[in-house]
Amino acid sequence: MSAVLEVKDLKMYYSTKQGMVKAADGISFTVNQGESMGLVGESGCGKTSVSMSIMRLLAENAKIVGGQILFKGQDIVKLKEEEMNKIRWAGIAMIFQAAMNSLNPVYRVGDQIIEAILAHEPDVTFEEARERVAELYKLVGLDPKRMDNYPHEYSGGMKQRAVIAMSLACNPDLIIADEPTTALDVIVQDMILKELSKIQKKLNMSMIYISHDIAVIAEVAEKIAIMYSGKIVELSDAVTIFKKPAHPYTVGLMSSFPSIHGEKKKLVTIPGEPPNLLNAPDHCRFAPRCPFATKECWEKTPPYEEIEPNHYVACFHPQNLRKQVSING
Amino acid sequence: MLKYVGKRLIQILILLVIYIAVIFFLLHAMPGGIKAMLTMNPNLTPQAREAILHAFGLDKSLWIQFLTYLKNVFTLNLGISFSFYPTPVWNIIAERLPRTILLFTTATLVSFFIGFSSGKSLAWKRGKASEYVATVIGVITYTVFTPLLIFVFIWFFGAYLGIMPINQFLNPDLWLKTNFTAQTIFLYLLLTISLVGAAMLAAFAVARKVSHKVKTRKIIFYTATAISSAFAVFWWAVSPYGIYGADILWHMVLPVLTVAVVSYAGTMLVMRDSMLETIKEDFITTARAKGLPDKVVRDKHAARTAMLPVITNFVLSMGFVVSGGVITESLFSWPGMGMTLLNATLGKDYPLASGALIFTGIFVLFAHLVVDIIYAFLDPRIRY
Repeated sequence: MSAVLEVKDLKMYYSTKQGMVKAADGISFTVNQGESMGLVGESGCGKTSVSMSIMRLLAENAKIVGGQILFKGQDIVKLKEEEMNKIRWAGIAMIFQAAMNSLNPVYRVGDQIIEAILAHEPDVTFEEARERVAELYKLVGLDPKRMDNYPHEYSGGMKQRAVIAMSLACNPDLIIADEPTTALDVIVQDMILKELSKIQKKLNMSMIYISHDIAVIAEVAEKIAIMYSGKIVELSDAVTIFKKPAHPYTVGLMSSFPSIHGEKKKLVTIPGEPPNLLNAPDHCRFAPRCPFATKECWEKTPPYEEIEPNHYVACFHPQNLRKQVSING
Repeated sequence: MLKYVGKRLIQILILLVIYIAVIFFLLHAMPGGIKAMLTMNPNLTPQAREAILHAFGLDKSLWIQFLTYLKNVFTLNLGISFSFYPTPVWNIIAERLPRTILLFTTATLVSFFIGFSSGKSLAWKRGKASEYVATVIGVITYTVFTPLLIFVFIWFFGAYLGIMPINQFLNPDLWLKTNFTAQTIFLYLLLTISLVGAAMLAAFAVARKVSHKVKTRKIIFYTATAISSAFAVFWWAVSPYGIYGADILWHMVLPVLTVAVVSYAGTMLVMRDSMLETIKEDFITTARAKGLPDKVVRDKHAARTAMLPVITNFVLSMGFVVSGGVITESLFSWPGMGMTLLNATLGKDYPLASGALIFTGIFVLFAHLVVDIIYAFLDPRIRY
């Protein structure tokens, strides 16, 4: 398995009047060919900042201050804008957070997909592009006849499907799905996620799912990274994360979602709120909310270590924690 | 759509009647009045007074007079001007309307395109020094007292540099030996502009039909525009009217410049604001993520969506095109509708003043209808 995307120690800061906001502070992960990864965290922990850094679609006051983003071995942080434009959509495509608004209201939906195809493959004729869009429509479960409709004539679920079809238009190696189904109701959400996952496996694409909902991610991702306050605090395959969560925050996330199977338990919320990313402290950022925090946690940042094969955690007390969980649970 | 247009036409008709009523009664509320004006002569015998009042229908009540006037307007009879007796109002308007339309259409188009493209670029490159400079200059020219600006321009270009004609719309020496009127030239100029405009529109439509590539479309559009403009210039150059047309255009430069300077900032600021709103939309991020070149994102996605309020602004300012800037026309001695309106009102030329106002009204009402129809084309979300 070759790595499609390697993010190494990515640091992306926003400069504001009050100071630096460290939205992504030393993020590292790898996505292999055909692999699907989930990026989970509370609102405001920097998930979208990571995806926008990978697409290099940064706000004016945002800057990648350190680290590398290797797409098929090429560092895209250093690329010129024109070179980056070639990678966008053809190499890395995206399904945006607000799919509802990510279609331009004044153009036909089909034309917006065709536009992406023609921008990257100048040899393709308009008719060929139309045929490809019709194929994509069938793939995502839309009637190809609806290509010539405008976005406002689509329902929410249809727009979502159209946006998925658009992300597939140029056969990208990697798709970043940023909260792809947040605006939809649970049933449509489930259906679309399953189809998306099926398409991903069928086309052997790599995928990064971003969500605040670990239950959603669990269904589709093979690998899960938990983000907290601009850092990845735990990263492993989905099974390990669910069976043996090592970081207190991951445990908190697990117990704050209901499970349909398993026994009925009282949902536990994590006390406190996510820290302000502005002038983030030097100690462990979860310490103020952590029931296991010791003096050490308030003094320095825990290292991001591999505690067992392919299981990375940034915590001083992962072992303790596991005992605790097994005693309690 | 047709049903909507029909409905709107009926509305326009009702509004027009109300508008004519307002004009009629407002003009008759002016101190003095027609009666006093016609019968002021102390040498008139009572019989002669009666005869005059009866001949003009002034012995009837104001309501009856209004209904008569309304009937006349709808039978396209605007009466005879007092101050240009016995020229019918129609002839005066027919003579002066083209002058105003030519001057203000050019000026409005110029200011619209400057405002549109500068507003677009300013919003796109936010926070640069150029934005502050352009905004400050725009606000200054927009709020400056227009007559002052005109005087400064006339002094600078006409008197100090001496390169521009300072008044009138033609050079009388040149026109002494001609056997045709300026009206003909104005009409030909307007015809040329409409034909070139129509050719551009047709080229645009054909380009959209023929090709889906932006480059090919652009080539078709620009070639057709260049050919039709070249043809127009050639026609004027070989025709005997050429020099006279050029004379009028030369006299137009300064007024057009003034109007453009005064009004471009309006379009620019509206476009800038609208563009700043649009840039924040998610579909702009999508367009960027699709790897489209910066210019395509700006023009095809952002500006196309942001231009809707600007178009409204533009079409509504077309009312100006008919009424003419009273100030601009007076100061440049451009005898168009604005000056006619001013002089007719001051000179109590009731038929001419109301005729000119009614024309402006009809034009503005139809401009509104045109906005609504254009909107349906520009924004697919709007359907009637």
